[in-house]
Amino acid sequence: MASPSSEATQPADVALPLGRPARRSWTARVGEYVGFAPAIVLFGLFFLVPLGLIVCYSFWQTVDYNVVHHWTVDNYRYFFSVPTYVKTVWATIWVSVVATLLTLAVAFPFAYWLARYVPRRYQKILLVLVILPFWTSYLLRVYSWLNILGAQGAMNRFLHWTGLTDQPVSFFLYDRPAVILVLVYLYFPFAALTLYASLERFDWNQFRAAMDLGATPATAVRRILLPQIRPGLTTAVIFVFIPILGEYLTPQLVGGARGVMIGNLIVNFFQGAQYTRGAAAALLIAALIVLLLTLFRRSLEVEDPYGT
Amino acid sequence: MADAAAIAFRGVMKRYGSQVALQPTDLEISEGEFFCLLGPSGCGKTTTLNLVGGFVSPSDGEILIRGQSVNKHPPYRRAVNTVFQNYALFPHMTVRDNVGFGLKMARVAKRDAAGRIEEALALVGLEEFADRLPAQLSGGQQQRVAVARALVNQPAVLLLDEPLGALDLKLRKRLQIELAQIHRDVGTTFVYVTHDQEEAMSMATRIAVMNHGRIEQVGTPFEIYHRPNSAFVADFIGESNFIDVDVGPGGRAALDNGAEVPAPEPRRSGRATLMVRPESIQIRRIAEANGSGLRGRIAQSSFLGSHTRVAVLCDGVETPVTAALFGTEGAAASDLRPDTEVVLIWDPADVVLLEGAEGKEADAVDVN
Repeated sequence: MASPSSEATQPADVALPLGRPARRSWTARVGEYVGFAPAIVLFGLFFLVPLGLIVCYSFWQTVDYNVVHHWTVDNYRYFFSVPTYVKTVWATIWVSVVATLLTLAVAFPFAYWLARYVPRRYQKILLVLVILPFWTSYLLRVYSWLNILGAQGAMNRFLHWTGLTDQPVSFFLYDRPAVILVLVYLYFPFAALTLYASLERFDWNQFRAAMDLGATPATAVRRILLPQIRPGLTTAVIFVFIPILGEYLTPQLVGGARGVMIGNLIVNFFQGAQYTRGAAAALLIAALIVLLLTLFRRSLEVEDPYGT
Repeated sequence: MADAAAIAFRGVMKRYGSQVALQPTDLEISEGEFFCLLGPSGCGKTTTLNLVGGFVSPSDGEILIRGQSVNKHPPYRRAVNTVFQNYALFPHMTVRDNVGFGLKMARVAKRDAAGRIEEALALVGLEEFADRLPAQLSGGQQQRVAVARALVNQPAVLLLDEPLGALDLKLRKRLQIELAQIHRDVGTTFVYVTHDQEEAMSMATRIAVMNHGRIEQVGTPFEIYHRPNSAFVADFIGESNFIDVDVGPGGRAALDNGAEVPAPEPRRSGRATLMVRPESIQIRRIAEANGSGLRGRIAQSSFLGSHTRVAVLCDGVETPVTAALFGTEGAAASDLRPDTEVVLIWDPADVVLLEGAEGKEADAVDVN
């Protein structure tokens, strides 16, 4: 989210508790919670305080590029009064949904194959390869797609070489399909790693048992595998869907004017010094995410499969 | 094919690369048998089971279940069900849903299914545990759920892959009796894989002893024990003494030092190995002995409750010969002090002459 102070921060200098004293004095009990302190300081100072500011901003007014402390809901009213903005919200949601589903559709078979068939020593190598893109910057990875999809890009050269086209096709770039493609590429590692972590613990003998009892492989996946890796699936969805909702660089670079998402609107508001409207838009995404997390929470509540 | 065998192997062979897991094998298992595949680890018994279950496809040959070739059928289209070594129960389902899974897959009507599930749970004595999760059961109970889950589908054959391997000895003994009881109750053909010879002997109607991807011998426990056809089988099942001899016509068997011992009529003269079970051996004092016998000196005599074990160092035999004396004979053995000179005798009908290659593999035995 568009937090105004997102610079790198130093965690507070707090001693970590070493071991647990046998004598449970008052100070010792406090000591057990000392470990939380850096995180509390970090999130308090650099998340909760800015969030509070954003909430305030969203109910204030901008007059002549200055924020005036005058309470109003005009910022929200304005956002919903502009049809383009509302359309962008819906577009953002469906782009995120489609991109998430496609990411899972690519990541699930990969993780399944990796966990089930690849010998353990090669699994680690393949996992490193999955993380390898993180060694280069996010920006570079998005930019490289311009070289693939652009007018002089690899795709057009290939089509030209095969003789299918004689003019460069601009269809690939500057629209939502390009945005979705790049998002799937960017978020695949998150989904793959999360799914692998839960598939790796699955006992494949159960799969044999299911087939032995008459289940086709597809039925075995649906009735035996999926229910048991549901927490992993939910985590993967959250790790992919929520960051995509707030994406702004990818739509800006490869989506062009037709690929705009809410993230771009927020950036535009802030760059245009419309701080209060930007704050309102940012909170709308936040509200959307909180709503979705609440819905997801039910499937996140892991019923202990090993009983209690 | 009215009276087709429950399972038939016709020249079935399995190769993994250059590794032969199962040599070309012919085998017939009749309806209602409790058939044990017995052998050390890596002998091909689990491969054989997986070939029947459909988890492994044969490199050559044909597998028939009730007279029908199933070579091309995947596991979910075969009328066999398996009790897996680690049970492989579904942890997210109750006992009832675990047992009902196969019926659901077969689209059995809900009401029929409920009745059959209850029946299967009653068979293994777990009616009261229907609503528990597998993790809330003990190992023995989980094993029973696995049996019920397989049997509820009324398979042509029930495959059991070392189902008692994870349980402690006492529980294992109890479940052996229970499984044999269940087998009698349902009459289904059981194919049971184990490396534990006692387990095989106690339950099976027939046993196939396997080694190096080959079935060494198929027979009833009695045949396997008393008429082993190789040193491997003789050594794997129970305890045996192996004595190298030169045999000739008229049941003549001579040790390397020329002394003669009792032996049955050989098929042909020459080098052979005499297999003598410890309980077939009788011990005589030198004074009481007449005729042929194995002369030796007592090395040790141990009273073991039900019987007395006596180890005898014999002239012309490399390893000490072990004799097991039961009952009054055992009591009389108490005065057999070490270094007493004795003669070992046996009824030629109680020993097995392993001729030629049959005697060669005794050293290859590796019991897990």
